[in-house]
Amino acid sequence: MVELRNVSKTYANGTVALRDINLRLDKGEFVFLVGPSGSGKSTLVKLLLKEEDATEGEVYVNGYDVTSMTRQEIPYLRRSLGVVFQDFRLLPNKTVYENVAFAMIITEALPKEIRRQVPMALALVGLSRKANMYPHQLSGGEQQRVALARALVNNPALLIADEPTGNLDPETSWEIMKLLSEINHRGTTVIVATHEKSIVDAMKKRVVAISKGVIVRDQEKGLYRDEDKNTPVLY
Amino acid sequence: MKIRTLRYFIKEGFINSYRNKLMSLASVLIVVTSLIIFGVFVLISLNAQHNIGIWKEQPQLQAFCYQEIDDIQVRRVEEIIKADERILSYEKVTREQALERMRERLGKDAAILDGYGADIFPVSFIIRLKDVSYSSEVVKDLEKVTGIEKVSYSQDTVELITRMSHWFSLGCSVMIIVFLVASVFIIANTIKLTVFARRREISIMKYIGATDWFIRWPFVVEGVIISITGAILAFIVSAYGYKAVVDKFTQDAFFAQTNLLSMLSIESVWSRLAVYYAVIAVVVGAAGSFVSMRRYLKV
Repeated sequence: MVELRNVSKTYANGTVALRDINLRLDKGEFVFLVGPSGSGKSTLVKLLLKEEDATEGEVYVNGYDVTSMTRQEIPYLRRSLGVVFQDFRLLPNKTVYENVAFAMIITEALPKEIRRQVPMALALVGLSRKANMYPHQLSGGEQQRVALARALVNNPALLIADEPTGNLDPETSWEIMKLLSEINHRGTTVIVATHEKSIVDAMKKRVVAISKGVIVRDQEKGLYRDEDKNTPVLY
Repeated sequence: MKIRTLRYFIKEGFINSYRNKLMSLASVLIVVTSLIIFGVFVLISLNAQHNIGIWKEQPQLQAFCYQEIDDIQVRRVEEIIKADERILSYEKVTREQALERMRERLGKDAAILDGYGADIFPVSFIIRLKDVSYSSEVVKDLEKVTGIEKVSYSQDTVELITRMSHWFSLGCSVMIIVFLVASVFIIANTIKLTVFARRREISIMKYIGATDWFIRWPFVVEGVIISITGAILAFIVSAYGYKAVVDKFTQDAFFAQTNLLSMLSIESVWSRLAVYYAVIAVVVGAAGSFVSMRRYLKV
């Protein structure tokens, strides 16, 4: 599903963001990507979306060889996966329905398909009743759910969430995480980059910890911090 | 490209140009100005060609005999003209014919000729040359012939007009190029503003997998909308303007009587003007969009 082989990334200004990363995700997995700001987890997400190119190594996503892909192919890679960001990235002058439908319009989907898929995606995130509202009329959690519906409307095999709860209060964060987990149960592979410690610890999923551009831990049913190091766990 | 996608592009193009009303208006005006200048040039040069064509078909030379000479002398002149190998053909205009032509020219004022006989007019010969380049020597030779009073020579006028229209075209071409380039850049600037206004939207579109061209097309449409609007306005203004000029011209007594100049009717030029405007508008609009995209829309 996702594979990184000996991937390194050095930015033009000399910053080494990732160093010799090897990572493999299988279909249907749920993975937390954790680490402090500047650890390289955002860079890793950018490599998966081909927003940045790896300096060394190979990246495979959804069967695409991301490393050798041309500019023209990038949109098709991005259509094959859903992405959710910390700042939601909704179009302010489009309604909830239009925002979700837009992800299908750009793929030149049939209007019939759009009319079928969009309400389904909205129902999945529980926003059917707010379809005609504009983003500014919604709470942060609701906006993120719209973003989720948009990410899912094309039925991607992989969902990437970059700090999806970064702008949300703890309770709303939980709702979003539950939704992500539910999406995962339906068969979608999910990658969540976060530093929401309490959620990571409670969900008991695979945890990949990055620090200073290196994977320091890859653990099934892991916690935010490695308990062997005796760091206090605060709830 | 699918029809519904095309519809989306056109809709977005209209939304873009509407959001950016003031700049769109400024761009439309510059397009209108450039196209009107272009239109004036086209109309003038079409009319110049039209008139040059008429003059070229008209007698290149007309040799007038002395009014007093008798038929025998006239025949002698005719023999000389007939024998000249540089002359392609000639036509004798008798005194009666000359009177008749003058009556026609004067039209309703012909009454002033009443009481005069044909004998007040001289016999003349309308002469067509085998080649225009002979004209000045033929004129010289004919003027020496006894019985010929003067030779009128329309070649000078033709040459003058040809030359004038040449310089006029050159001047206009320079101006048109300047204005068209200005139009391209002003449209480019308008679209730049739209691109900046929609930066965030564009980046979101990229994240959800929109292709480069899917993002670009609405901006191309915006450029073309601006220039087509300009073209339509310019066409209306220049068509009405030209019609007004033609109307005034036909009412002018001097031109009406002398047949020295004639103007093409609006019916015979509008379709050509419309095609030129449409082609230029599409090219300028699309060029403006592309300039803008190359510079500001690195999708």
